Amino acid sequence: MAGTGKAHLHPEGDALLRVEDLLVEFPVGRTGLKVNAVTGISFDVLPGETLGLVGESGCGKSTTGKAIMQLPRPNGGSIAFGGQELTSLAGEGMRTLRTNIQMIFQDPISSLNPRRKVTNIVMEPLNIWGIGTPEERLKKVNEVLEAVGIDPERAASSRPYQFSGGQCQRISIARALVLDPKMIICDEPVSALDVSVQAQVLNLLEDLKAKFGLTLVFIAHDLAVVKNISDRVAVMYLGKMCEVAKSDDLYLRPAHPYTQVLLNSIPVPDPKVRPTGNQRVQGEIPSPVMPPSGCRFRTRCPIAQDRCAAEEPQLQALGDDHYVACHFPLRTAN
Amino acid sequence: MTAPINRPQEGTLLELRNLRTHFSTARGVVRAVDGVSFTLDRGKSLGIVGESGSGKTILARSIMGLLPKRGTIRHGEVLYAGQDLASLGLKGMRKFWGQEMSMIFQDPMTSLNPLMRIGHQISEPLRVHLDMDKVNARATALKLLQDVGIPEPEKRLDQYPHELSGGMRQRAMIAIALACGPTLLFADEPTTALDVTVQAQILDLIQDQRRDRNMSVILVTHDLGVVAGHTDEIAVMYAGTLAEKASTTELFANRKHPYTEALLRSIPRLDQPSHTRLLAIGGRPPDLITPPTGCRFAPRCPYAEDKCRAEIPELEAASADHSFACWHPVGSPRWQSKQDELVSTGVLSASGGIA
Amino acid sequence: MSDTVIEIPSRPNIITSLVRRIPPLRKWKFGLVLSVSYIVVLTFLAVFANVLPFVRRYNVLPKGAEARRLASYRGKPSSEYWFGNDKLGRDTFARSVYAAQKTLTIGLASIVAALVIGGLLGMLAGYYRGWYDRVLSVIFDVLLAFPAIVLALIVVGRFFQGGRLNLGVFEMDKRFFGVIVVLTLLSIAPLARIVRAQTLSLSQREYVLAARGLGASSWRILVREILPNLLPAMFSVAFTGLAVLLVAEGGLAFLGFSVQLPFPTWGFMINEARSDLTKGGGWAVFFPCVLLFLTVLAFNVIGDRVARRFDIREATL
Repeated sequence: MAGTGKAHLHPEGDALLRVEDLLVEFPVGRTGLKVNAVTGISFDVLPGETLGLVGESGCGKSTTGKAIMQLPRPNGGSIAFGGQELTSLAGEGMRTLRTNIQMIFQDPISSLNPRRKVTNIVMEPLNIWGIGTPEERLKKVNEVLEAVGIDPERAASSRPYQFSGGQCQRISIARALVLDPKMIICDEPVSALDVSVQAQVLNLLEDLKAKFGLTLVFIAHDLAVVKNISDRVAVMYLGKMCEVAKSDDLYLRPAHPYTQVLLNSIPVPDPKVRPTGNQRVQGEIPSPVMPPSGCRFRTRCPIAQDRCAAEEPQLQALGDDHYVACHFPLRTAN
Repeated sequence: MTAPINRPQEGTLLELRNLRTHFSTARGVVRAVDGVSFTLDRGKSLGIVGESGSGKTILARSIMGLLPKRGTIRHGEVLYAGQDLASLGLKGMRKFWGQEMSMIFQDPMTSLNPLMRIGHQISEPLRVHLDMDKVNARATALKLLQDVGIPEPEKRLDQYPHELSGGMRQRAMIAIALACGPTLLFADEPTTALDVTVQAQILDLIQDQRRDRNMSVILVTHDLGVVAGHTDEIAVMYAGTLAEKASTTELFANRKHPYTEALLRSIPRLDQPSHTRLLAIGGRPPDLITPPTGCRFAPRCPYAEDKCRAEIPELEAASADHSFACWHPVGSPRWQSKQDELVSTGVLSASGGIA
Repeated sequence: MSDTVIEIPSRPNIITSLVRRIPPLRKWKFGLVLSVSYIVVLTFLAVFANVLPFVRRYNVLPKGAEARRLASYRGKPSSEYWFGNDKLGRDTFARSVYAAQKTLTIGLASIVAALVIGGLLGMLAGYYRGWYDRVLSVIFDVLLAFPAIVLALIVVGRFFQGGRLNLGVFEMDKRFFGVIVVLTLLSIAPLARIVRAQTLSLSQREYVLAARGLGASSWRILVREILPNLLPAMFSVAFTGLAVLLVAEGGLAFLGFSVQLPFPTWGFMINEARSDLTKGGGWAVFFPCVLLFLTVLAFNVIGDRVARRFDIREATL
C-alpha cells in the first residue's frame, strides 16, 4: 500500500473539508533524522458526513487530525475547509477557523484543566471570542451542558476530577459544541472509556450530530467502533492511505490486504468465530523514521511481490465509492 | 513441593472460597473483592472480564498474594492444589511465585527492568528458583525466547528492553513468566497496550504455550472479544462480585445475567451495519465503599424490582458449567415482560436484537 | 475463615491510587499545627518588633553596675534576660526578635523576587522552547556554576558597600539590599529550572492543546491554563526555598558578607559570638541557632504539607 493519489476525492465544490498531499514530519531529537508521520495523504469529508480514520499506532491518524486544526501547521500539502485554504491562513482568518472546527481528545481527564470549574471550562471559548454578555454566555453554556447530559448546577460548583471519565468526555464535547462549529474532529474519543460508557458517548455523538447538523472526523484504532459511527472509513498505515470505502462495504468486501488483516485481528465477542492463525500478520509496524520503499505494508504483507518494493501503489477506484492503494487488491473493480 | 514432572495432569488446581479483599482507607473500607468463589481445573483457561473498578485485577493479585500489607484485609480461602495460600506468609508464598504461579502485566515497558539485559532477566529466576548454573540458565533462556517466537533470540539475550518493540517486550515478559515452568499463569490485560494486529499474535502465543505446557491460565481483561476466542471459561465480574460464570460457548450462547447481556449489547460489532444504535448501560458502577444493598447491578438494571434492591442474589449453578447471581435472569418471566415492553417501544427489534 | 494480612511490597499503582484518594491530613497533623503556630508567633513578633516594649532594648547598652554584671556574656538565661546577654551586655532575646524581623524580611523578599523572576523566565523557556529556551538555559547554567561566595563578594563587597539606598518610596541600608540581591540571584536559576520543567510537561497536556485549538492567545494559555497548575508546585518550593535562604543568609553572615549593624540577623549574631564560645558566648550562639533551626524546620514541614496537599488533587484525577 502506501497510497498516494487523489482518485477518491469528490469534485471540488462538494466537500466541506478537502485535504490534499498532507505532509507532516517531526525531527528526531537533534539527529537530523525525521519521523515521516504523514506523507502525502489526501481525503475529503462531505457536509454532514462522518469520516472514520482508522489504523494502528504510528499510522498518522492523530497527526492528521491535529494537522487539520493547524496544531502544528503541516509541513506540506493543502487543507481546504469550505473552499478556504487553511495552511496559509493567519491572524483573523485563522481565528475564524478556530470557531468552525473543534476537536475532542482521547484522554477526557487530561483535556480538561483540573483547577477550573467545569462551567468555566465550557465557557472559555465564549470568553476567548468575547461572544455575548456574561448572562448570554452562561445561558448558552447551560444549554450545551444539558444537551450532553451534564447537570449545569453541578458543573458550576465542581471541577473535572469530581466527574467520571465518561462525564469528562461529555464535558469535552460540550466545550467543543459551545461555539456552534461546523465540524468536530474526534481523536480517539472513546478509547479511554469502559465499554458500557463507550456506548453512551457513541450514541451521544450520533444524537448531537443529527441535532446540530455536524460533520465529524472520527479517529480511532478500533475498527468496530469506527465502523459503527462512520459513513465512510479511511484505513491508514504508516503515514499513508490504504483504502477508502463506505463502512459496510469496507467490512463486507475489503480490498487491501492490510484491511483484511486488521479485520481478522479484531477479537470478536463470539466464540463461534474461532480465530485462525494463518490469517494473522507477522511482525510489527516498521519505524516511521525509515519507512519501507514502494508500498509501506509490503514488509508484513502476505501477498507482497517484487513490484511492491519498487513502485508505490496509487489509489484506484473499485466502484461504489470504494478506493484502494494496492498493486494486487483482494478484489477488482466491478 | 513436587517436581514439575510429577504434577498431576487433571483435576482441580485452584479453588476460591468466598474470597474477600478489602482496603481500609480514610474514606472507609473499599470492598474491592467481595465474596468470590470459583474453581479452575488444570490445563484450563479462565477469562475474568469486567470494567475498570470491577475488582478483576485485585482478585488476580489477591490469589497470588501480591498486595501490599498495609491496609489490605483478606478473608476467605485460596486453595491451590489443596493447600490454603491465604494462610501463608511472605516466606511461604515465595516458594509459589515463579515456579507454581507467575504473572504477565499490562505494560511490558514498566514491568521489565530497563537497566538489565533481557537474557539476564530471564535467567535470574532460573538461577534463584531452579539452582541452574550460568551456562545452563542462558541456554534455557535462549530456548524460552525461541518458544515465545522472538526472532534472532541469541542477539536479543544481550539487548535491553528499550531496544525491543512493544510486541517483543511482551513476548520477553511472557518468557520470564514461563521460565520456571509455572502451573498457573496470570495475564493481567496482557494486550491492552499493544496494537490490534500484535494483540492477536500475543493471545495466540499464550494459548499455544498453555497447551504445550498444560498450564492453567487466568486472563484478566475488559474486552469480551479477547476472552471469547481464547478461554475455556469466563467469569464476569461486577463491583467486586461474580455476576456470572460459564464455559465460553455457554456464556455467549445462553447468557443469564442482565449485566452480561447489557455488556454484549453495548459493544459495537463488525457484523452489524454501520450506525446501529448501541444499547448503552445507563449510570455507572457503584462506589465500592458503600455498595448498594441487594444486587449490585440493580441500580443500572432494566429488570430490577424491590427484591433485587433488598436481597443479594447468590451465585447459583444453573447447570454443570453455568452459574449466575440474579433474581430475574435472562429468560425469566419478568425479563420476558420487560423485554416485550422494550420491543413494543421500539428500543429492541422483535428478534431480540437491537432495533 | 482466616484473617490474613498479606505482606509484600508490590507494583503499587492500583493500591496507591486507591489509598492516595484520601487527603492524608491525619499523618503529621501535630507537626503541622506546631509549625504553623510557631511561624505565626514568630511573624507576629517580627512584624511588631519595632513597637514591642521588650524588644526596644535590643540595642541598649546597660550602664554602671548593671553593665559590669552583664558584660562579656556573664548574664546567663534568667527570668529577666530569657536568652542571656551578649558581649556588651545587650539582651539576646530582644536582639533575636529584632533579628527575626531582618532575617525574615531578607528571606521573604529574596524568595518572592526569585519566584517572580525565575518563575516568569522558567515559564517562558518551558512554553516557547527553541532559541529562547537555549539562551535562558545557558544563563541558568552559568548562574548555577558561579561560586556563591564570589557572587556575594562582588555584589555586596563592590556594589552595595555601606550607606543608604534611596529607591524613591522607600529607603534602606545598602548592604541589606545587597544581601537580598545576592540571595535572589542565587535562587533564580534553581527555581526557573523547576518551573521550566513543570511548564514543559504542562504544555503537553491536552487541555493546553484544546485551548490553542479554541484560538486562545499564548499569553492567555500561560496565565489561565498553565499558571494555576504551576502555583502549587511554586508554593511548596517557596517554603522550602525560604528555609534554604535563611540558612544561606546565615552562611553569608558567617563569612562576613551579610548585613551590618545596626541591623542584626540570626546569622550575624551567631557570627558575632562564635569566637567567644570558650569565653561564655555559648548561649549567645545557641539561641539564634535554635531559632534558625526551628524556623527552617517549620518552613520545611509546611512546604512539604503544601506540596502533598496539592498533589492529592492531581492524584485523584
